[in-house]
Amino acid sequence: MRRPATKPDHPRGPVLWSSLEELSGDPAFEAWVDAEYPVAATFGPTARRTFLKLMGASFALAGLAGCEKSPFVAALPYVEQPQGTDVGIPKYYATAVTLDGYAQPVIATTYSGRPTKLDGNPDHPATQGRSDVFMQAAVLELYDPDRAQAPNRRGEPVTWSDVQHHIGLLRQQWTQSQGEGVALLLGHSTSPTLIRQIEALVREFPKAQIYEHAAVGGGRGLDSTRAAYGQPLQLRPQFENCDVVVSLDDDFLGAGPHQVANARAWSAARHRTADQPGLALYMAEAVPSTTGAMAEARVAVDASRTWLVAQGLANSCDVAGAAKPDLSAKEQRWLDRAVHACRSARGRALVTCSRFGDDATASWVARTNEALGATALLGAAAPVPNVANAKRLSDLVSDIGRGAVQTLIIIDANPAYTAPAWLAFRDAVAKVRSSVHVGIHRDETGALCEWHLPLTHTLESWSDARSIDGTATIIQPTIAPFYDVRTVHQVMALLLGQLDPLPAAPVRDTWRAALGNDFETKWTRCLHDGYVPEQRAAPPNIHAAATAVVPPPPDDGLDIVFRPDPTIWDGSFANNAWLQELPKPLTTLTWGNVISIGPALAMRKDLTNGDHVRIRVRDRSISGPVWVLPGQAPNTVALTLGYGRSKAGRVGDGLGYNAYHVQPIDQPWQTKGSLHKLGTRETLAVTQLHHRMEGFDFVREVNAADTDHPKHETTQPSLYPPKPSAQNAWGMVIDLDACIGCNACVAACTAENNVPVVGSEQVKVGREMQWLRIARYYTGDVEEPRSFFQPVPCMHCEQAPCEMGCPVHATTHSPEGVNQMVYNRCIGTRTCSSYCPYKVRRFNFFDYRPASDAPEHAAHNPDVTVRSRGVMEKCTYCTQRIEAAHVAADKENRPIRDGEVVTACQSACPTKAIVFGDIRNPDSEVSRLRGDGRHYVLLEEQGTRPRTTYLARWKPPEGQG
Amino acid sequence: MTQIFSPAADTWLRLSMVAGVAVLGGGLVGVIGFAHSAFETSTDVRPHQPVPFSHKHHAGELGIDCRYCHTGVETSPQAGLPPTATCMTCHSQIWTNAAMLEPVRKSLADNKPITWTRVAKLPDYVFFRHDIHIAKGVGCESCHGRIDTMPLTYRAKALTMEFCLDCHRDPAPHLRPKDHIADMTWQAGRDARKQGEAIAAHEGIRFGQLTHCYVCHR
Repeated sequence: MRRPATKPDHPRGPVLWSSLEELSGDPAFEAWVDAEYPVAATFGPTARRTFLKLMGASFALAGLAGCEKSPFVAALPYVEQPQGTDVGIPKYYATAVTLDGYAQPVIATTYSGRPTKLDGNPDHPATQGRSDVFMQAAVLELYDPDRAQAPNRRGEPVTWSDVQHHIGLLRQQWTQSQGEGVALLLGHSTSPTLIRQIEALVREFPKAQIYEHAAVGGGRGLDSTRAAYGQPLQLRPQFENCDVVVSLDDDFLGAGPHQVANARAWSAARHRTADQPGLALYMAEAVPSTTGAMAEARVAVDASRTWLVAQGLANSCDVAGAAKPDLSAKEQRWLDRAVHACRSARGRALVTCSRFGDDATASWVARTNEALGATALLGAAAPVPNVANAKRLSDLVSDIGRGAVQTLIIIDANPAYTAPAWLAFRDAVAKVRSSVHVGIHRDETGALCEWHLPLTHTLESWSDARSIDGTATIIQPTIAPFYDVRTVHQVMALLLGQLDPLPAAPVRDTWRAALGNDFETKWTRCLHDGYVPEQRAAPPNIHAAATAVVPPPPDDGLDIVFRPDPTIWDGSFANNAWLQELPKPLTTLTWGNVISIGPALAMRKDLTNGDHVRIRVRDRSISGPVWVLPGQAPNTVALTLGYGRSKAGRVGDGLGYNAYHVQPIDQPWQTKGSLHKLGTRETLAVTQLHHRMEGFDFVREVNAADTDHPKHETTQPSLYPPKPSAQNAWGMVIDLDACIGCNACVAACTAENNVPVVGSEQVKVGREMQWLRIARYYTGDVEEPRSFFQPVPCMHCEQAPCEMGCPVHATTHSPEGVNQMVYNRCIGTRTCSSYCPYKVRRFNFFDYRPASDAPEHAAHNPDVTVRSRGVMEKCTYCTQRIEAAHVAADKENRPIRDGEVVTACQSACPTKAIVFGDIRNPDSEVSRLRGDGRHYVLLEEQGTRPRTTYLARWKPPEGQG
Repeated sequence: MTQIFSPAADTWLRLSMVAGVAVLGGGLVGVIGFAHSAFETSTDVRPHQPVPFSHKHHAGELGIDCRYCHTGVETSPQAGLPPTATCMTCHSQIWTNAAMLEPVRKSLADNKPITWTRVAKLPDYVFFRHDIHIAKGVGCESCHGRIDTMPLTYRAKALTMEFCLDCHRDPAPHLRPKDHIADMTWQAGRDARKQGEAIAAHEGIRFGQLTHCYVCHR
């Protein structure tokens, strides 16, 4: 039976909708949401006798299972216990993983020598302990069984001594030819050691050619600054010093190597109180992004019109030569607000544009910033040091074409997959006499090349890399390599003629020169701290180039934009199941990519979610399912890179479409094309309809007037007796004004709590297991909606309905207010889940554990039970961390300090939106926030008295939004 | 009308009701008894070990402190088994040629761990921590029994949930002064409760909070 949601006449918050089907009142959708687990609604009826038989058998078997004797098992001590090792106590290493070649500084937690969890390094100047999804999921990649495990020649396994012998022969030829015909193709790397080794190689063989190809990042990302400033620059906008930010299609809070640093700085500046307005963000974008969702005022502008808005902005800011463009009324209204805000915050207002945008936009933005006196806020710096003067992939293909390349060595890049199809890279490789691929996977390129040399994962490597702000981190191994693999520096050393160098030696050699005297002390210091303190170069003097860039010629057809995938990135994370199953921000899609279109285009072409379309760009086309994204510009179609892989591994193969197939060489991020409906369709694994709550008012918005009086706790009367409270009463407050929906918390929770991956078929029927979901809501018109993100973990209700429901007391209440889930007592009736008004309980419909011999087991947190089939599970407030804090405090006979217990989601959050602590301690951060004027309780009318509560989002100031 | 039931039917009914209750009750007693039996809890089983290590000799007769070998017991969740190197501190000097110790020497020579059989084992869903128990005055002997009298080690206490909960519900009588933690022969004496309560107060034991599920299960 369906209880109608009672909507009051004057809801306190905005009228929310989570999908187009809901907004249009589709009856099929209503039926879908009626079911607790939607798929259960489609099961056939069970005969009474069958039901009784099954129940009887289950009870008997459950009883018998209780008689199982605990077997005697082996115990293996060390032969010689390393000093400082205590079995059962984790060790922590400061190191880094990489994204796009940039270091993401981490503290790796290792148990008995195996890394299980990565957290941001709090001492690192760039990220200050914050993290993102890629950092959280890197540990699973380490244990990927599909990694290349030994060197390989034409598909046959070989040994490293074979490799050494072959390289020796090559070197003899190179010595004679000075490296003529040698081509080295690298992915984007910032490793000082790799750069040093490449330079040494070029010194030895001066005629060798170096090329660079990165699908998304790398040198290409600096092209727009070349157009705007006449020199390649790394722009790191200093959001912490801004009052107003106008972003032209710049998703600076979105996934990527910039995300953590930007989100941290933005949230610090954004912090708004009743008296202090905080940072105001104005966003004009073609494809809705997390940044757009956080904007004060947002307007949908087609990709090919962005430069016009930029010109309009320049015109309003009195930039010389900026004619007033022809803007629509909507665009003009947005522009007027943005300009007004910029004017009133002169010196603290900044305009940013996307590195995927066109040169015309970049050029106008540069000049506008100069007019606004905001150039210093751009944080311009010389590019993070990279392999100097590397040529591009297109140069390589043409060099191969004219027969100038005999030996091709590809290091840590996958051009056979990521090269735009027009380059015909595969055909080019066939013309090379000898090809070597060096990489962690034997991927598309590895399979194409004659030799494949497997690399270590970053967590097994001695290496180094620079983070986005240029700070170098020495990467130290957290585990010895468990396959027959080498670090990239060992492979480079082989090319340099050194036989079997130790993994650390090349890295130490680099830093011995850089650190100078007293090397060992400084080296140990750098390893411990996780970064190298270095003198920063003075910021370069920059001036916007005065010549206006000629805008791209107007063209009929739809704007096709290419964007890296928010969880799979350029495809390099395709075999990472944690990332595949993370719902992508805004679409909530898992296990695939979609062609996203705006509602207006969907109406015009009569398309609904899941319909197949063909996208044609010049003479090539791809087909895939569409997703109608509320708020997308009417003539823009967005394709995401990273899918359609054929040699990613068992997880990543055969999912989605390959957008590289239609990515033009000359217009890699934005081009023109057409869209045709195909008439077929598919069901997509989207999670936005799952775990829906009954009610209204889930997300609230407030303005300063609403927050005048601090809230004091009002509790509704309850029929149930009050629960006694212990010395600590745990609670969590989530600030919806800071949440950018990035999913770092979900990924961190997955890693910390051994949350299983269920796969696309199970996600489609609503069985995803993530303990917290980022619910995404819209308000307003489909063309220009406002978007909200709401992380929903277990509420840990003081009067928890689930506890009333359980027939076997498998879910109980702790004196500290934690709603406990006891797996070994659960018999799987799922009553608790149907009683839960917040829909935060997850059921193990199958045994989702990895196969017993799978290496993924090593990624499990040993302090958390790995659940089997038939039990319910849910957020525990990271009880293992609470208990560890209790033990630490009890051993010292003191109370737990505020901030001593940090949940996994809290520590991962790049914007510090999640605060956890003791609500009985009036001085704790969480108590302070519970007294804030913005504090509210989700579904307060249920009387469940949740311990997890929220801070409402700030309404945009009057006359805006 | 014919009689369906014979005159004895009532008696049979009464008898069968009594028998039914007896069978159910007896079954219950049987099941509970079985669950507590030495067979089911594997107490008194001396599993095969690669080296017939005698705690009686080492801990009892020689008086080596528990913590000499089980080094993690005060700092770590796991007490830890001694690495081969610990055995060899003495056995590189004495009994250097004993056939019994061949697996130990082989372990050191091959750098392969000795495959002991774990005697005191809890189910995987129980997260027991040695360090906090030692810190709060629970002695080794309280759970492991008189190890110093065991020529071959066996599980002296049943280590059932009931065994743990008895103490978690009412810890006081089971606590002992810190300097007797590893003392196998220590006896509480007649005022065990009073003495234990003093220790509990001093150690700040969180009475009433030690029985909730997440203390041991997570």
